Amino acid sequence: MPMKGRFPILRTLEYLQKGEVVFKKSVKIMTVNYNTHGDLSEGARKFVFFNIPQIQYKNPWVQIMMFKNMTPSPFLRFYLDDGEQVLVDVEGKDHKEITNHVKTILGKSDKVLEAEALAKMELSNPANFGPKKYFLRECISEVEGQVPHPGFVPLPKEMTGKYKAKLAANSDE
Amino acid sequence: MLRALSRCHAPVVRLLSPRTAVMVETVRGRKSRTEPKAKSKAGRIKTPPPVDPVEMIVLKERYTEYNLILRALRLEFKEQMLRKKYEEEVGSVAEERAKREAEEHRSLMALNDAENLRIHKIREQRMLKEAEAAELKKREAAILRQQELEDYIKEKERQILQLQEEAKDFITPDNLDQRIEEALDNPKNYNFAIDKEGRVVKRTAFQQ
Repeated sequence: MPMKGRFPILRTLEYLQKGEVVFKKSVKIMTVNYNTHGDLSEGARKFVFFNIPQIQYKNPWVQIMMFKNMTPSPFLRFYLDDGEQVLVDVEGKDHKEITNHVKTILGKSDKVLEAEALAKMELSNPANFGPKKYFLRECISEVEGQVPHPGFVPLPKEMTGKYKAKLAANSDE
Repeated sequence: MLRALSRCHAPVVRLLSPRTAVMVETVRGRKSRTEPKAKSKAGRIKTPPPVDPVEMIVLKERYTEYNLILRALRLEFKEQMLRKKYEEEVGSVAEERAKREAEEHRSLMALNDAENLRIHKIREQRMLKEAEAAELKKREAAILRQQELEDYIKEKERQILQLQEEAKDFITPDNLDQRIEEALDNPKNYNFAIDKEGRVVKRTAFQQ
């Protein structure tokens, strides 16, 4: 299947996962008003084209709507869950500036994100054993360097129980 | 390993035989119900390990004490964890967190408002400039139109004057006879050649 579109890289998982903006829990709706022509909306257009996919990937429960050619100057509007509306003017700004600004005012900070990632890591301890679906290993015999399962590789004679029992019996006699 | 343990139905024999009888049952294991016992195990009588009653009493007391302490510790830790979790979600910690977050949110909104104001000012200036430019253009266009109108009028006047000039030489019924006489008296010679610049180059002689 050939690549689709002008910038197929925008459809790769790697690009989407690189998105920086993770909204706070209170942000529910994001609205972008911009124009399809004109110098002032250039930054907004680039923002919509390059950064909106990343934002939506990182915030799947936020509704994002785009309105074209309804405004003399471009802006963003966020609707929070307590009814507050946040207006962000983006006239003449670059798409990177817009992302940074949005991240500063309504995104979770790096510290918070790290703490959340740490908390998530704590849930799954790699030292635990169990079904392959949830844990890394099921049995210690799966680890390299340990005694393998006798079902796959027969144990050396000296370690088997019957040999040891025979030895014990012989030594008793 | 885990799978083998999960298949084992019978309870494992306790270390010290508990209150009443032995709780050992036949473990199914590898064979099905219909298969006979192995020949090597034909005359085997399974006896549980011998138990010393005095030792058993002592051990039992110690174990009950030990279990009591351990259970108390475990429940203590569990309660601690639950309390921490509760505090985090509902209690004082959560309130402080909410207050802090509200503060941060207000400051960030103030930041956003400042930014909006800045852009608003820039936009106002731009609008002013554009308005001025438009005003200038309009005035210039008006002047141009005025100019054109005047030029047009001047041109028309010039043409009228020229026509008046030429009207003096018109042939009217009054001076018709006079003009005829003049024309007959002064014959004109149209036999001449001109070069590309329009100058007369050659004149041939007049022949009636």
